[in-house]
Amino acid sequence: MVREGGFPPGTGAMLGRTALIPSSLSHYVKRPERRSKPGSVHKDDKEKNSRDNEPGDAAMRKLYLGVDVGSVSTNLVLMDGSGTVVADVYLLTRGRPIQAIQEGIRLLAAQGWDDAQVAGAGTTGSGRLLAGVIVGADVIKNEITAHAVAALEMVPDVRTVLEIGGQDSKIIIIRDGVVVDFAMNTVCAAGTGSFLDRQAARLNIPIEEFGALALKSNSPVRIAGRCAVFAESDMIHKQQVGYPVEDIVRGLCEALVRNYLNNVAKGKEILPPVVFQGGVACNVGMKRAFEEALGVEVMVPPYATVMGAIGAAILAKEATGATGRTRFRGFQVASVRYDTESFECEHCPNGCEIVCIKMEGQLLARWGSRCGRWDTVPEEQPVRREASG
Amino acid sequence: MRIGIPRGLLYYEYFPLWKCFFEELSAEVIVSGPTTKRILDRGVQTAVDEACLPVKVFYGHAAELGDCVDFLFVPRVVSVEPRAYTCPKFLGLPDMLRASMVLPRLLSPTVNMRRNRRQLLAAVRQVAAELGAGPVKTWRAWRRAVAAYRRFKEFLRQGYGFEDAVSLALGQNRHLARQAPPARDLTVAVLGHPYLVYDQLVGMNLIQRLRSEGVRVLTADSFTPAEIEAKVRNLPKALFWTYEKQVLGAALACLDRNVDGIIQYVSFGCGPDSMIGELIQRWVRRKRDIPFTLLTVDEHTGQAGILTRVEAFLDMVARKKARSA
Ligand code: SF4
Ligand code: SF4
Repeated sequence: MVREGGFPPGTGAMLGRTALIPSSLSHYVKRPERRSKPGSVHKDDKEKNSRDNEPGDAAMRKLYLGVDVGSVSTNLVLMDGSGTVVADVYLLTRGRPIQAIQEGIRLLAAQGWDDAQVAGAGTTGSGRLLAGVIVGADVIKNEITAHAVAALEMVPDVRTVLEIGGQDSKIIIIRDGVVVDFAMNTVCAAGTGSFLDRQAARLNIPIEEFGALALKSNSPVRIAGRCAVFAESDMIHKQQVGYPVEDIVRGLCEALVRNYLNNVAKGKEILPPVVFQGGVACNVGMKRAFEEALGVEVMVPPYATVMGAIGAAILAKEATGATGRTRFRGFQVASVRYDTESFECEHCPNGCEIVCIKMEGQLLARWGSRCGRWDTVPEEQPVRREASG
Repeated sequence: MRIGIPRGLLYYEYFPLWKCFFEELSAEVIVSGPTTKRILDRGVQTAVDEACLPVKVFYGHAAELGDCVDFLFVPRVVSVEPRAYTCPKFLGLPDMLRASMVLPRLLSPTVNMRRNRRQLLAAVRQVAAELGAGPVKTWRAWRRAVAAYRRFKEFLRQGYGFEDAVSLALGQNRHLARQAPPARDLTVAVLGHPYLVYDQLVGMNLIQRLRSEGVRVLTADSFTPAEIEAKVRNLPKALFWTYEKQVLGAALACLDRNVDGIIQYVSFGCGPDSMIGELIQRWVRRKRDIPFTLLTVDEHTGQAGILTRVEAFLDMVARKKARSA
């Protein structure tokens, strides 16, 4: 499920995207006070004083690259200075993050963007260090901050962010535009997207159709179990008893929402506006299950699945704003040879597993030590160039 | 005579006291090295499954000292003040250790001050007698040990790291440079048992990491006992666990110190802590909205996940502060 969004800047990319992620457009709740064109990420006020955002001279736009490398998916976006996403890529990581990052960069480069346009690069996600080294990032940030920044960009008055990805889930509580609390779950599968993927595979339903199917149900089956294993056996039981598949599918969405609210969101005050993002957010069944459980409207923003990357791009813009310089290595990183090596340090009984990243045989970075012994690497190449636009 | 002290649990609370005392009694003190993966693995193998992480670490250290010492010092600390107990796990510690591995002779006096503070002196005399010291020598050693302990606590209060406070208190390092003032105007309290937050492996160097990010770090040791006592005295319910009381009292004392965020660091499977976490949230939040996060670790906890949380927490605290400024 590789998709790419290669739309000429400013043409309302959402229209093109509808075919690719059916649910994200139809379920983006347009808020009355925001009348920006779909796909452009509002901020109309700022656009006016941003000198590099004249419509028409798209080639001169400054762009910011955001890369989000998770264990399930790797997402990249290019965002312009006004916050409009001009290109996005969603790829499966498949346990090979370097290849996924390079493939993503290649897909972006194929759209004809120029190195000189990229004024900043940011990375996030569990693979953010690796991604940061490969693309040459100006900022490397954790996924909580990246998701919060992106949600605030899309819905400035957001107070709750629900995020469910393939392998983890989070809740972020925001008040008056700042994060005041958050929680993450990385252990329990019953609160993440992999739970739905697994059950969809078991029911033989493509995960893309899962949400629409759930909407057809009028009487959901209650799937028991706080744990993915119990839920699975209960579902098999319900299936054998002969419940209609759409009722089971809806029941699964409700079970995931219940698990999420009981584990990740436990004790958090969920106040509207609520934004739902992450890989699972384009599942309309999940959106409805959340709305029913919470009794409030749940917004799924455009680009809900690549919000981490959007956040990284916004942070890159912030980070490069003062200096106007970027460490971005250029789109050619897609075709450079990167290797990882690892060894066990024998200098003390901790026996840390040290990972080394090499570019064309030259050592770029190392990590994994508890003591910092291997962290410094002989001086890296200097800042590439000045990004003057 | 060589006395082995496992680097775990109450070592982080009383080491200067113990070391000074034993050395005054002409014994040699041997401490196991800083916790490593190997020590932890050893502890996990020997300890019972339901033990909390610090107890497992302690087992590892005891095993590490093995038979290269004449005595292994594992006091049975039941209570260190009237009307309060330490963790129930400390109570059976010497017996559980003995049951699970071959050990040198244990030096394990019982300290139970719940009814009577003077019981401590009986324990001190008992230990000294076992080591063959007379009353005068014992008394002098004890006075010096208590003085070293007070210095140690004072250095911790001033913000020295654990290792530095130990060596300063024992007079081993008189010329230690003062900590550079933090680069950022950001104060974060790291609250938790000293044997978790000061341990180099299970504490993930959290305090040093925060300091290297330019953050001013407070711990429960940054507050005087009087400050803490004053805070918990007003609570509607008396707390019966001494060390939990310190954590909760410190959290409440943070309200007076312009603390921008509180991180509570606990071990998975710790009964006392799970209760205190709730209380902290309830009592601190009621007064002022200080960001709070709970980090729970066990032997499987990956460093990356914890550090991601800490990074996110710092971002949150810094952005919140910048906003309200
Ligand atoms: S990297 Fe440091 S902590 Fe890890 S094994 Fe080597 S010396 Fe020990
Ligand atoms: S207080 Fe908690 S962490 Fe400490 S020994 Fe007891 S159970 Fe373990």
